[in-house]
Amino acid sequence: MAREEDNLFEFADFDEKESEHIAAPRYSYWKSVWHTFFHSKVTIFLSVFVIALVVFALIQPLTSGYSPTDAPNINNAEMKYLPPSAEHIFGTDNIGNEVWNVVWAGARNSIIVSFVSTAIIMTIGILVGALWGFSKKMDRWMIEVYNVVSNVPYLLLAMILSYVLGAGLGSLIFVMCCIDWIYVAYFIRTQVMIIRDREYNLASKCLGTKTFTMIMKNILPYLVSVIVTYIAREIPALISYEVFLSYMGLGLGTNYASLGRTISQYRSYMTGYPHLFWIPVLVLAAIAISLYVVGQKLADATDPRTHR
Amino acid sequence: MKKGYILKRLLRSVISVLVIMLIVFVLVYTMVPRDNIFFEDATYRKLGGKPDDKADYVYTTWEKLGYLDYVKINDYCLTLYEAGSDEMKGALDPASKETADFIALYESRGYSIGTYPVSGRAYAYKDTPILQRLAKWFGGLVRIDTIYSVQDPDNPDLERYVRFGRTPTGGLALIGSGTLHKYLLYTDSHFPFIHQNFITLNMGESYPTYQGLEALSVMFSSQGTEVKREVAFETGETSQSAIDFGSLTYKAKLDRMDTKKFTDHYANYTTFKDQTSMVGTSFIMGIFALILSYGIGLPIGVAMARNKDGVVDKLGMLFIIFITSVPSLAYIYIFRYVGTTVFGLPSVFTTFGPSDIRSWILPIISLALPSISSLMMWIRRYVVDQMNSDYVKFAKAKGLNRKEIFRRHIFKNASIPIAHGIPSSLAACITGAIITEAIYSVGGMGKMLPNAINQYNNVMIIALTFLFSSISVLSVLLGDIILTKVDPRISLTDKAGRS
Repeated sequence: MAREEDNLFEFADFDEKESEHIAAPRYSYWKSVWHTFFHSKVTIFLSVFVIALVVFALIQPLTSGYSPTDAPNINNAEMKYLPPSAEHIFGTDNIGNEVWNVVWAGARNSIIVSFVSTAIIMTIGILVGALWGFSKKMDRWMIEVYNVVSNVPYLLLAMILSYVLGAGLGSLIFVMCCIDWIYVAYFIRTQVMIIRDREYNLASKCLGTKTFTMIMKNILPYLVSVIVTYIAREIPALISYEVFLSYMGLGLGTNYASLGRTISQYRSYMTGYPHLFWIPVLVLAAIAISLYVVGQKLADATDPRTHR
Repeated sequence: MKKGYILKRLLRSVISVLVIMLIVFVLVYTMVPRDNIFFEDATYRKLGGKPDDKADYVYTTWEKLGYLDYVKINDYCLTLYEAGSDEMKGALDPASKETADFIALYESRGYSIGTYPVSGRAYAYKDTPILQRLAKWFGGLVRIDTIYSVQDPDNPDLERYVRFGRTPTGGLALIGSGTLHKYLLYTDSHFPFIHQNFITLNMGESYPTYQGLEALSVMFSSQGTEVKREVAFETGETSQSAIDFGSLTYKAKLDRMDTKKFTDHYANYTTFKDQTSMVGTSFIMGIFALILSYGIGLPIGVAMARNKDGVVDKLGMLFIIFITSVPSLAYIYIFRYVGTTVFGLPSVFTTFGPSDIRSWILPIISLALPSISSLMMWIRRYVVDQMNSDYVKFAKAKGLNRKEIFRRHIFKNASIPIAHGIPSSLAACITGAIITEAIYSVGGMGKMLPNAINQYNNVMIIALTFLFSSISVLSVLLGDIILTKVDPRISLTDKAGRS
């Protein structure tokens, strides 16, 4: 017999989904990365600065009409060696070109070369390095390959390849990739070897996981922060590499604007017209430092130990 | 560590060097157009108006550099007839029977036939395969001087002996005749005081720059202006000369000046100059930079680790970020600007020259900057890692004081990876610093490879690659050996219980 009070109660539905719910806040790796990254105001400011700088360097030369092969003001003595002013922001150089245009055109090529090369180098390096670290058989002969590749004089290779392929952005990127991938691969190999033999990987192996899946799912996610750290170092390093090669006369041909060649050309004006020399040097330093610092912040953010 | 392991590593290093050399040979001798080597050659330019002589010069030079085997119709006809005879003149004619024979003979041997543009006379040439060139290069690398080294058909009566004697400067010497060098072993007042010429390395003669000098002596002999002094020659002749008697080698054709000074055929020599060699300059710079970077980098790195997140640490990090991200070209110029304006130091090495200590200061510090920053970064990393390890906590719990833990445990462990890098850093001193030396115009090794490449000095490229790659491969091995000596726990042969 039903009592009056029983009607006050209702049977709740059994919700299987709800019962599985964990009360702790959900953790998403990438969300935490972005959260940590944008936590600091300095970092936000710097990243906006870097993005603006890079975008500006990529777009400005397209609109300036500057080309390293022609000098419209070469016979106009009034346009030469002008100091920086409101009209000529960075002044003008020995052949009457706007230093502003010259610098950004050079920066554009430096940035394109370093970004594309870093992308290619990291992709090849990570894939080869992951396999290399995983296979002991491969390790034995890859070490010798490393010995050989890292000892071939890169200046020689740079010159000969620019001969065969012609001087240009593509061949310079190829030259950079030719040698640098082996360093990335070697670095990744060492990192992979460190976590390869951890228990969870042994277990995974016992359960029959394929090598490729193990590399992609078990090992590489662990390496994200290390890889980002490496990229943060690699981009400025390649910018300085491009500058170095062009300074030695082995980088981009004279048909391409280049910060390295600009610096080496302007270096004789260091005492006479200091702005000519110092502006490219300082722009170069600004681009490299800001890219490096933002990269480091991103690398810190990708390290799960910094997540709260 | 097992002896067998080092031997195996050495063998593998040798193979690595061989492969590197093969790659460089292929790059240099097949991919660079061979006409380019004449760009910097003054003799070639002078021959512009004489196409026949030019063609002959080009092929003779290529043969000398090992590109090909070159046979002139002249040489062929000389085996048949006497020089200057009428038959000889007739045989050289392009339409002669001998020319046809010559072409047939050499074509059957796989040679290509060419004709001089004006006279129309024939010559034959055949490219030398790259592997054969490599083998020849290595075959001639180590030169052992014996009394049968000189074979001169014009001088059949050359005596062949080795005996004790004195050099004209009064040093004791082992004098050879029939040998390439006159003084095989001698003493003089120059470092290292006892010199030998029995075994010398031969990496070919430099061309087109530094013509007539051997590749190695370009790098290792003194530079600058000659140091002349009063010298008494064997003939009794005295004059002002910078001659290095120890360098006397056999000279086939003596001129009047030679017979005035020397009683025998040993009349080729090098001179003493007032500046250190390229290798020497780079090495002095490198060594001081190395001392400076360890002297500054290590203590600051340690101090940074001990005051983690303190002021020193933050300033140090700022420095590290600056040096690693800014291209070296930029920061060396910035640094040089500060050095010259604030401290009044010379902006280029050549202002005061190598004898003045002021010339060295800026280049050495500039060279040390990147290694200071990387040493700071690594030693900080290692020390921080060690400070957080269990054994340090244990030592603390046991009551050891901070200083003791640091000196006897942390620093010892943290310096192990640093010790590993020392041989490589030493090796880097020899290869020179390209950018630093270029900016300060230091006459060191750094400019050698870029210059050799730009001037198509293939002999030099090959010699430098061999020198640098063997040094670097060996220094990696040496670093590993040092690692096992410093830290006995480390085993290079992976049979120490760990996989």
